[in-house]
Amino acid sequence: MLKGKVKLDVTDLDNFEYDMSKCIKCKGCTWVDHIYMPGMTFSTRCPSATKYLFDSYGAYGKMRIGTAMLEGRMEYSDELLKILYACTLCGACDVGCKRNLDLEIELTLEALRIKAVKDGKGPMPQHKKVAQHIAEKHNRLGSPHANRNKWLPKDVKPAEKADVLYFVGCSAAYTSPEIAQATAKILKASKTPFMLMPDEWCCGNILYSVGMADEARELAKRNVEEVRKTGAKTLLLSCAEGYRMWKVDYPKLLNISTDELGFKVVHLVEFVDELIKNGSLKLKKKVNLRLTYHDSCSLSRLSEPWTPWEGERGEWGMVSPRLERRRGTNGVYQQPRDILQAIPGVELVEMIRMKENAFCCGAGRGTREAFPDFASWAAKERLQEVKAIEAKAIVATCPFCKENFAQAVSKDGEKIKVFDISEIILAAI
Amino acid sequence: MAISKEAYQALEAIVGKEYISADPVVCEGYRSGPGGYECGLGYERVMTKIPGGIIMPKTTQEVQKIVKACNRHKVPYVPYSTGWYGPRSHCHVDDELLVDLKRMDGFEIDDKHLYATVESGVIYSQLQEEAMKRGCYIIVGGGGSQCSAIANMLGDGWSPLSYRIGLPHRRILGTELVLPDGELVKMGSLATDDKDYFWGEGPGPDLRGLLRGFTGLRGCLGIVTKMAIKLLPFQPERLKPSGISPHTTLELPVKRVKWINFTMPSKDSMKQAMFEMAKAEIGGGVTKVPIFWRAIAKANCKEDFWDIWSQESEESIANFHLLRVLLIAFTCEEQMEYEEKILNEIITELGGEARRTRPSDESWFKNADSAGMWLMCGSYVSVDYVIETLEHAIPHGENYAKLKPKYTPPLMPDYGDPGWFQSFELGHQGYSEFLVYWDPDVDTNGVDFFYLETSKENIRKRFYTSLLGPHQPLYLTGPAYGPNYHTWLLKVKDEFDPQFICHPPVPLAHDAFVEKAEWMRPMKDWESPEIPGS
Amino acid sequence: MNRRDKLVKIVGVENFTDDPKALETYAKDFSLQPAGVPDYAVKPKDTQEVQKIIQVANDHSLPVVPVSSWVHFYGATIPKKGGIILDLTRMNRIFEVDDFNRRVRFEAGVTWEQLTSHLAEKGFRVMLPLLPHPQRSVLTDTLEREVITNTVYDYGEPLQSMEVVWPNGEVFRTGSASVTGYPDSPSKGGNPAGPGLDFYRFLQMAQGTMGVVTWANIKTEYQTQKDKVFLAPVKDLNMVMEFLYRILRIRIGQECLLLNNTDLAAIMAADMKKEFASLRSSLPPWTLILVISGHYRNPEGKIQYEEKTLNEIIKNEFPEISFSDNLPGLPGSGEKLLGILRKPWPKEITYWKNRYKGGCHSLFFITKPTLAPKFIEKMESLASRHGYPEGDLGSYIQPIEHNRACQLEFNLFYDPTSRPEVERVRTLASEAAKTLLDQGALFTRPYGELAKLVYDRANGYAVTLKRVKKLFDPKNIMNPGNLCF
Repeated sequence: MLKGKVKLDVTDLDNFEYDMSKCIKCKGCTWVDHIYMPGMTFSTRCPSATKYLFDSYGAYGKMRIGTAMLEGRMEYSDELLKILYACTLCGACDVGCKRNLDLEIELTLEALRIKAVKDGKGPMPQHKKVAQHIAEKHNRLGSPHANRNKWLPKDVKPAEKADVLYFVGCSAAYTSPEIAQATAKILKASKTPFMLMPDEWCCGNILYSVGMADEARELAKRNVEEVRKTGAKTLLLSCAEGYRMWKVDYPKLLNISTDELGFKVVHLVEFVDELIKNGSLKLKKKVNLRLTYHDSCSLSRLSEPWTPWEGERGEWGMVSPRLERRRGTNGVYQQPRDILQAIPGVELVEMIRMKENAFCCGAGRGTREAFPDFASWAAKERLQEVKAIEAKAIVATCPFCKENFAQAVSKDGEKIKVFDISEIILAAI
Repeated sequence: MAISKEAYQALEAIVGKEYISADPVVCEGYRSGPGGYECGLGYERVMTKIPGGIIMPKTTQEVQKIVKACNRHKVPYVPYSTGWYGPRSHCHVDDELLVDLKRMDGFEIDDKHLYATVESGVIYSQLQEEAMKRGCYIIVGGGGSQCSAIANMLGDGWSPLSYRIGLPHRRILGTELVLPDGELVKMGSLATDDKDYFWGEGPGPDLRGLLRGFTGLRGCLGIVTKMAIKLLPFQPERLKPSGISPHTTLELPVKRVKWINFTMPSKDSMKQAMFEMAKAEIGGGVTKVPIFWRAIAKANCKEDFWDIWSQESEESIANFHLLRVLLIAFTCEEQMEYEEKILNEIITELGGEARRTRPSDESWFKNADSAGMWLMCGSYVSVDYVIETLEHAIPHGENYAKLKPKYTPPLMPDYGDPGWFQSFELGHQGYSEFLVYWDPDVDTNGVDFFYLETSKENIRKRFYTSLLGPHQPLYLTGPAYGPNYHTWLLKVKDEFDPQFICHPPVPLAHDAFVEKAEWMRPMKDWESPEIPGS
Repeated sequence: MNRRDKLVKIVGVENFTDDPKALETYAKDFSLQPAGVPDYAVKPKDTQEVQKIIQVANDHSLPVVPVSSWVHFYGATIPKKGGIILDLTRMNRIFEVDDFNRRVRFEAGVTWEQLTSHLAEKGFRVMLPLLPHPQRSVLTDTLEREVITNTVYDYGEPLQSMEVVWPNGEVFRTGSASVTGYPDSPSKGGNPAGPGLDFYRFLQMAQGTMGVVTWANIKTEYQTQKDKVFLAPVKDLNMVMEFLYRILRIRIGQECLLLNNTDLAAIMAADMKKEFASLRSSLPPWTLILVISGHYRNPEGKIQYEEKTLNEIIKNEFPEISFSDNLPGLPGSGEKLLGILRKPWPKEITYWKNRYKGGCHSLFFITKPTLAPKFIEKMESLASRHGYPEGDLGSYIQPIEHNRACQLEFNLFYDPTSRPEVERVRTLASEAAKTLLDQGALFTRPYGELAKLVYDRANGYAVTLKRVKKLFDPKNIMNPGNLCF
């Protein structure tokens, strides 16, 4: 819809006709913000455009392809699906574009996938498998649901009732239990009672990300209701993807604002940062490590709260009522850095592409499942930066990042250590 | 009909399967519009096509082979470095091959001899950062830091910093050009030593004359694959990037680099200030600031802009005279004190006043803020921009301001703003540019008319213009400049592109547009033979 | 009407000659180029006459050799295939001096002496190459890109728009002078570029082979308000090259050049017979000349900060450099030298290159400054091998634009009446050109025999150049036999 009624509703691509048609091909979505441009190396922040090279894989290509899809000029093909799905929806394009313009690139990309699913063409076969796992076993891996809480360390006892509910997530529950264990121990050490979901199900991040909006919405309704029933005031996560899903995409699917969820959604780093600053948690043990911090996309660029919006677009493309756009400015960038710098012995060195310019690890939002080579490539690209600054370790805030980096490191025999921030925090307590 | 199988196979053999595609989805991704520079207008709608295929070479040798293969198989082709320039750098005919040069990202720098050698895929912000790391700087052309440095050096290449670093033609050194028939010509020092790019002229008559023609031939006379670009010495302190998107900026080391804004009592006083600065040989940049740039800089979104802009009027525009001056202490900190004192003296004499100015740069060193031009309306084109003298620059803009109301709407109301002007080459030249915006989702024929009308106005009033060659109908402008520059241009084109396959039908594309678009035909009041592609 | 009569009809009998004696003046110059006699010489008074002459030349396939003055050093105006000498010396009008835009428009026949004195009266100057001959054409020297002694970037590439008569007889204006009705237009001719193609580039260093430029606009600069000359003796060229990289990069200085003792003595000696030899032996091997200047407002302030920075650099990084305001043992020489540098060579004195022995063959090329010492060493060794007298070689290094490059010029002085000397210089120059070219010297202006050497090496460039030339000059009437044409 170029003029007239419009909504930030990803279930109808027509809402983004204006955004697609106004992409100016400046490729600010691909390049690092020019102010921060580091020179000839590490110049881009879109993994898809950097790997696949054809313009079609950058947001500028996808906007044009999307316009053709909307106008019925584009037939589905394997290539089209690859273009739509070989992308981590990392938000670099959205933030890059919004430095100068008011276009909703990220929402458009989400809407394109939803359309592909609605048209019966998407998602990728590997995603359908994940959907089946979630439907049958309530986790994306297809592991036994009964084993979901097996990660719990013996010396940690969740409360029956508490203000804080720790949502563990499939990754920490099954494949990266060290993250859940570290988180639980940190909460214990900070004397923070916490509860778990009585029956934790997958957050549905991959379902939503690949365009299975209906399935994701059902899961959202169920999960939100379950949390509300517990009376939790704060939902704590140590997974950036889950964090984004709960904080941004659940409200989006349910057509409410983040505030209207009825509880705060908080990542471990926000929680710990506050504890450190108010003196409740002291990190005294030395951790002698020269490390770098990787801004997980869903915690940084993509993490600003959601507010539904609908209105009219009129003259010159102006919208009313006024829309406060999410430009990635207020993502969770500083808290993890403050935490790391508070740890004695830690030497925090920054990668060249950091904060809103970070280069995605390549794993998230269904990408690794359907395009493992691409995910592996992206991780290796990122690890080149770690080497360039001679850091010994990379620290992230998401099990997807950690697993993907760890796999890349072991494949190539690199000497870089890969950690989740929860592990570093725990080591300093 | 698509690119023939035989031709495709020949091309695939050059670059490998991975770097060529004729897939319709991939090709759709290379559509010119509907958004972008000059997009959504008649020219873009009528003249551009989806490519028949995309190919991505890595080396000059591959480019040569591709061009030769195209000649052999009669495949039209267009070179494309970023696709930023809008419809004029996209395919114009069916089954055309788009040669995407982004893989050619070779880069070398010799800061001792003040040049960097780049390939077509290198963009300005990359080059600027590498230059600044070494105490040098370049002009990031007004087209923006996302421009391919080569493409912009061929067709544009100036900014307010051109007060010092001047005419872009002077900054092109050793260059490799693959001619439309596939022959490779190496210019400057490369002619006798194919590893050394440091010098641009000769030997003898300078074939760099084939490269630009003021603002470029839009790739219709070959493909430049490598070029050495002059760096200019800067100063030693770092310009520190800071802030988070969208508020990123370079913090300036104010003892060495400083912008200062001045309100001036009149347009004439701004012109005088530029003159006096040039006479005193101070400054690193000086420009009039059009008021809507300020509104863009203050706005947090499109609606903000319109809130601010709707407060303006003809009176406020006519009385707004903001001069922005850049001081660079190239030699030492004392130079800053010296120049600032003289600058203040000049401004005081002319009745101006300094305003509080942020010690930062958002717009000209690394991020020439061109993408912001689309904030207001979603569309933008410069209907003219020209380097001449300051005495040409001012009436040039004023003239368009008088012409513009006839086409407003669809043009955005600007209350008679006469455009942007600045001083160039230490006062030897002046620059003017007239930017227009419109709502692309309404009838835009008026913009097409205005664009052509400005060309006629230039001819009527004897203004020079950069929009010659491929930018306006060649048979309209040709007889009026030179005279008959078009005959020479077409002779050169015929010589080097006898099959007319290098970006057809450029340089006659705007002629073809006027023939093809029925709303444009009434504007044709000049003679021309039959135009290919019309 | 035969071609002779046609020419006479165009210019008038008083401006035409086919008298062999008169034609001899054009048959040779100060170079070693063998003589070449034209068939005719004509002196048009304006562009229209030039046009008509070119048309006659085309009709009769007669070569045309444009000649803008009577002083030539490189052999470019010696007819290689006969034809018409187009003597432009009557076209010597200075049309306008544009104060506001710092520009001057003038015809091809205007000399350095004429232009500089005209501009000086108005407080302006043009950038000079080193001591241009006062009777040479400013336009030709600018077109041929004689390297200026001033290293300030903003003064460089002074050529703006021009008027040219193409080899087919069409009149054309380049750059922003191409607007209809120029100069009666808002366009002042300040932009050299376009229209359509950068025609001005084809005409640069073309030795008159691409057309006849009848007038041009070039940049002027204000005269400086205050100057300070710095002279330093130099033994270690490598060290001084590094020094120049350092100071020119931070924009210290206006004129900056290096002259060896032979060249400098030829310039400075008031009486060659009495002073040259002793001056040459008393001068250091090289002298670095640097001028710092101040402009209209607070000129002292500019000199002050540049000098302060210069002194700091010398103290901390180049203590071997020792500047003074005079040449050793020559009080007042600094001021004298500045005066010499800022004007064409005085016409009442034999041109400096001809003062020593009468003849001088200059071999010059562009290179990176760091390579200059190596080339000098090579040249000296070649000179020695050819028996060229030690100490007779003149050498001049001209830094260009912040020392991104430099022009290196070797002056081989010889007695033109001495056959052995002429031959020695000829063979030395020939071997030196080949050797230096092999070692990376960039001959951008290949005069005479250099052309074949250079274009054999730059074959691809030559092929393209010929294709372009053919479009403008299908009958190859413009100064054939020069360059690769």
